[in-house]
Amino acid sequence: MKEKYKLKDWQDLPIGGVVAEGGNSADYETGTWRTSRPIWMEENCINCLNCWVFCPEDAFILKDGTTKTGKPRKEIESINYYHCKGCGLCAKECPVNKKGKKIAIDYIKEEH
Amino acid sequence: MSKILAITGAGAMSECMRQINPDVVPAFPITPSTQVIEDFSQFVADGKVDTEMITVESEHSAMSACIGAAAAGGRVMTATSSAGMALMWEMLHIAASMRQPVVMTLINRALSAPINIHADHSDSMGARDAGWIQLYAENNQEAYDNLIMAPKIAENMDVRLPVMVCMDGFIISHCVQTMQLEDDDKVKAFIGEFESTYPVLDTENPATWGALDLQDYYMEHKRAQHMAMKNAKDVIEKVSADFADIFGRKYELFESYRLDDAERVIIAINSVCGEIKEVIDERRENGDKVGLLKIRSFRPFPYKEIAQALAGVKVVTVLDRSESMGAYGPLFVEIRTALFDAPEKPMVYNRIFGLGGRELFMSDIHDIFEENKTYLETGKVEKMFDYLKVRGG
Repeated sequence: MKEKYKLKDWQDLPIGGVVAEGGNSADYETGTWRTSRPIWMEENCINCLNCWVFCPEDAFILKDGTTKTGKPRKEIESINYYHCKGCGLCAKECPVNKKGKKIAIDYIKEEH
Repeated sequence: MSKILAITGAGAMSECMRQINPDVVPAFPITPSTQVIEDFSQFVADGKVDTEMITVESEHSAMSACIGAAAAGGRVMTATSSAGMALMWEMLHIAASMRQPVVMTLINRALSAPINIHADHSDSMGARDAGWIQLYAENNQEAYDNLIMAPKIAENMDVRLPVMVCMDGFIISHCVQTMQLEDDDKVKAFIGEFESTYPVLDTENPATWGALDLQDYYMEHKRAQHMAMKNAKDVIEKVSADFADIFGRKYELFESYRLDDAERVIIAINSVCGEIKEVIDERRENGDKVGLLKIRSFRPFPYKEIAQALAGVKVVTVLDRSESMGAYGPLFVEIRTALFDAPEKPMVYNRIFGLGGRELFMSDIHDIFEENKTYLETGKVEKMFDYLKVRGG
């Protein structure tokens, strides 16, 4: 991804700032905008997917899993830091965090 | 069939638009450009064109619709004047930066206040940094010819910039002159089919126009735009040469009128050049070595070519029909820049004239040549900047 998004010279740009293909915002790294970073704590996560619902960048990556009773469900796999802008919505909306006894999404200062 | 007819400047522009038959014409009326759209809307109503005419609620909307229609993949034209173009301001820059080849007739008129509907160049000169190609015309014929050439220049793939075809309000737009109206088919053949770039109506190949640019790309896009304007210079010359081959009338980036052995030269834009030529002819009869350099392309500005054309000239009077308050006139600034590297610099000075439509008569032009004759004799420019014909001096 990063290699594809190497900054181009002016001669190589499509005319007039046109975005000449669909869906390529996925190529654009917005992770560099972060000043704070969410940390997903797997051991405390209840996989309610609130973070995934609220994330404006679609930065929560899901995987297939099962409930304790064996029903199929989606579970959090990781956070895509290439796109995560560190807005903190996930940590704010996490019901585990809200209960206040444990932290399922920590929110810490980004170290550059 | 090509024919000679008596027609107003505005009428000539609407006839030209009929011949071009653009896909979309969004417009909002403003004096003195109204007649262009009025006549053209009659052609639309009479079914003489296939154009989709959009009557919008403001000039800002008119130019917005132009940009949208051009980005959709259509050939787009409109017309405006003065305050109308001022209201388009934001969109003028966007049309140019989004590289949409919109063609607009601009009937030059003073900006308010005090409110004034007559000719000066404060509208187009104020928009000189908007990124539009600006072509100027002395009379109906030239304005008509410029409008025929405009789509070919704008749509050239090395250019893709909007073009403003300018003429003086009322003096040209509303005065009847005889001119050659070319054959419809010949004009259509000259202009050719419109070729779109990344049209948004092409749903097979989705494209996004007008997206955000941050610090990492904005300058590269501006640099590319600068190159397009640079390319426009050659393209204007090439299209003008092709035009001359087919229609017989020759145009360059500027017109050199009796410049070859001229010692004293006036540089001016638009309709006043007609009178200046008359005066030059009279004075030449008496052996006075005077000439005129008439600007046709103000953007791009042909610095080198003008410096070459002025080689050997001793005094240059630059006439500006608009003002940049607290600075010299916009044309003067360009001319001085053009001459800075010339091996032998002539004396150059600036006169503001004709604001709000004030007439400059032939006797006034004689006075200019008398004044610069004194400057030549004394070797000194008495007044670098002054107004012509203003009460109180």
